Amino acid sequence: MTAYLPIFIHLLLAVLLTAALLGAHALLGGRRPTVAKDEPYESGVWPIGSARERIPIRYYLIAMLFILFDIEAVFLYPWAVAFRDLGVVGLVEMLVFLGVLFVGFVYAWQRRALEWE
Amino acid sequence: MQVGLNHYLAVSALLFGLGLYGILTRRNAVAILMGIELMLNAANINLVAFNRYVAPGALAGHVFALIIITLAACEAAVGLALVLAVYRNLETIHVDEINVMKW
Amino acid sequence: MPPASDLALLVPELWLAALGLVLLGVDLFVGEQNKRTVGWVAVGGLLLALVPTWGLAGAVHRPGTTVFFGSYAVDGFAVFFKFLAIIATTLVILASMDYFRASGDRQGSTQRFEGEFYTLLVFTGLGLVLMAASADLILVALSIEFVSLTSYVLAAYLKGNPKSNEAGLKYFLFGAAASAVMFYGFSLLYGLTGSTSLYVIAEKVATVPAPALTVSLALMLAGFGFKISMVPFHQWTPDVYEGAPTPVAAFLSVGSKAAGFAVLLRVVAVAIAPSGLDYVTLIAGLSAVSMFVGNLLALPQRNIKRMLAYSSISHAGFILIGVAAFGGAFGNTGLLIYLFAYMFFTLGAFFIAALIEARLGSDDIPDYAGLSQRAPGLAFLMALFMLSLTGIPPTAGFFAKFYIFAAAIERSPALLWLVAVGVVNSVISLYYYVNVIRTMYLLPPQDPARIQEPAVLRTALWVTGAATLLLGLYPQPLITFARAAALLLP
Repeated sequence: MTAYLPIFIHLLLAVLLTAALLGAHALLGGRRPTVAKDEPYESGVWPIGSARERIPIRYYLIAMLFILFDIEAVFLYPWAVAFRDLGVVGLVEMLVFLGVLFVGFVYAWQRRALEWE
Repeated sequence: MQVGLNHYLAVSALLFGLGLYGILTRRNAVAILMGIELMLNAANINLVAFNRYVAPGALAGHVFALIIITLAACEAAVGLALVLAVYRNLETIHVDEINVMKW
Repeated sequence: MPPASDLALLVPELWLAALGLVLLGVDLFVGEQNKRTVGWVAVGGLLLALVPTWGLAGAVHRPGTTVFFGSYAVDGFAVFFKFLAIIATTLVILASMDYFRASGDRQGSTQRFEGEFYTLLVFTGLGLVLMAASADLILVALSIEFVSLTSYVLAAYLKGNPKSNEAGLKYFLFGAAASAVMFYGFSLLYGLTGSTSLYVIAEKVATVPAPALTVSLALMLAGFGFKISMVPFHQWTPDVYEGAPTPVAAFLSVGSKAAGFAVLLRVVAVAIAPSGLDYVTLIAGLSAVSMFVGNLLALPQRNIKRMLAYSSISHAGFILIGVAAFGGAFGNTGLLIYLFAYMFFTLGAFFIAALIEARLGSDDIPDYAGLSQRAPGLAFLMALFMLSLTGIPPTAGFFAKFYIFAAAIERSPALLWLVAVGVVNSVISLYYYVNVIRTMYLLPPQDPARIQEPAVLRTALWVTGAATLLLGLYPQPLITFARAAALLLP
């Protein structure tokens, strides 16, 4: 446990310091709000509309397809690392894998799942 | 003291418990899905930790974890699609309000 | 590198995978009015898949044979389930084609994405084949999840129907939670033994402390129990069966259950049994509870699909007797025979429910009144399936139950109570099965108009009906095959 003592002290100090600074500010500092100070960007560009706007459902549809095709990359990385050891057989296997994915992609494309409108 | 297998197992058990708690208490279907993801990641932590400490010779645990990550993504995609379909017809994703069928 | 000869042993799987991909292409090129073409291509492809599977039937003499570094079994057990999965998928696709057409006629609309439905069924069939042959925890996880994901979509297939939506979402939430628990159990088993191969685990499992192994087994049972709809993981069954399209309910009740039992048996018998852990008592208890819960809750049901769902839960209990009796001379054989026979009469009962639903738009048992006058053939077949589900001779159901009870008694006198529970439950089930027969034959019809029977669905029905009778009257070939296929260990 002793090996972790410095880290523990560090964490404790960080928490204490933050609490002290914020507390001092709350106790000693004045508070005079104005309209300009309450803006999200006091001296920047004016925000356009609310940040809590609803996102069109199409984003989710595209996102779902993206997840499916994106996650297959986790299999490409280990294959790339071991590429030399696996040789031609590994290459063929990966091509088959990508071929299957490609059929799925073509199907989604032809079904107009990728079209925005 | 070194961080050992037991620490990883404790974290994973905690994560599993949190996920299970989420599944059992949440009403929102998407929140339940998040609980399921937590449980899957608990299994992943276990697998990678066991691979490192119990069977460092082979990579079975790592491969298993990669497969589960992929399965989690597929599950999320299918699950969200189902939630969308339900929302279009029933206009709710709270599981206690989805009760067309009763026994 | 695995030798290329391994691929020769995988021809049925490769064929099914290729068939699924081809179907996706066919679906794109076929017009909206001719989607049945996709169904016919699927049926043709599935029947052709029986040829290489038959070629592998010699595998029954080589128990314990595996390919790809011991991760995939090509033993008789796997071949048996290949046959079962392919036959079940074919029959379900045949039934679906007329189900959609008849529903469309009644509602005056066509079903969208019908081609996708057949493709998903073929992929699910492939998943079932993979499940039954997986001999490695990674592959078990992958194939179970493969079947689950396609099944979720199939259950929610009627997109505009709130019941189907609800069925899909409930099935998904239960299923995903059950698999997550199961994966955690897998990770523990891997940690305890240091291997994911079931056959390597079997060598090391004796040194594992019993409490840890029990926890791991309990977690894994959540996933398997969900697939076979065993109590206490059965809550999804009635709602999903009622809401899903009826052919899908039939498929879940037969295909997923059979493959779930295959996985359960392979994991328990191969990997857990050598540890000396007393899993028999646990399984026997779950079996008894499943039978009682399923049968007692089936009694008050009015909806035929809900009734069949609870009946499916109780049959899971009956089949679990076979798992409990595994160590004996006939336990495994009894289980295989039961699953094979169960496939035909359950599919048949669901197909008739599908036809009635498509024609009358109702799932209620009282609407079956006078079916013997409106459609004598259908009423006769339904009566046959109901008798078989109860287990009355000379049907396949009687023979299956008889064999599995005998296996339990032969295994150990300690299982005698379980057989007694089974017999009591058969008597309870008589009440609600015979109620259907009574409604069809004794009550007057509300509407005397005859019910049209679509040709393809009728073919599927007569195949299941003939098999139900034939397996009851002349079971010898099935016994021979199941006995040969039952050996799991070298």
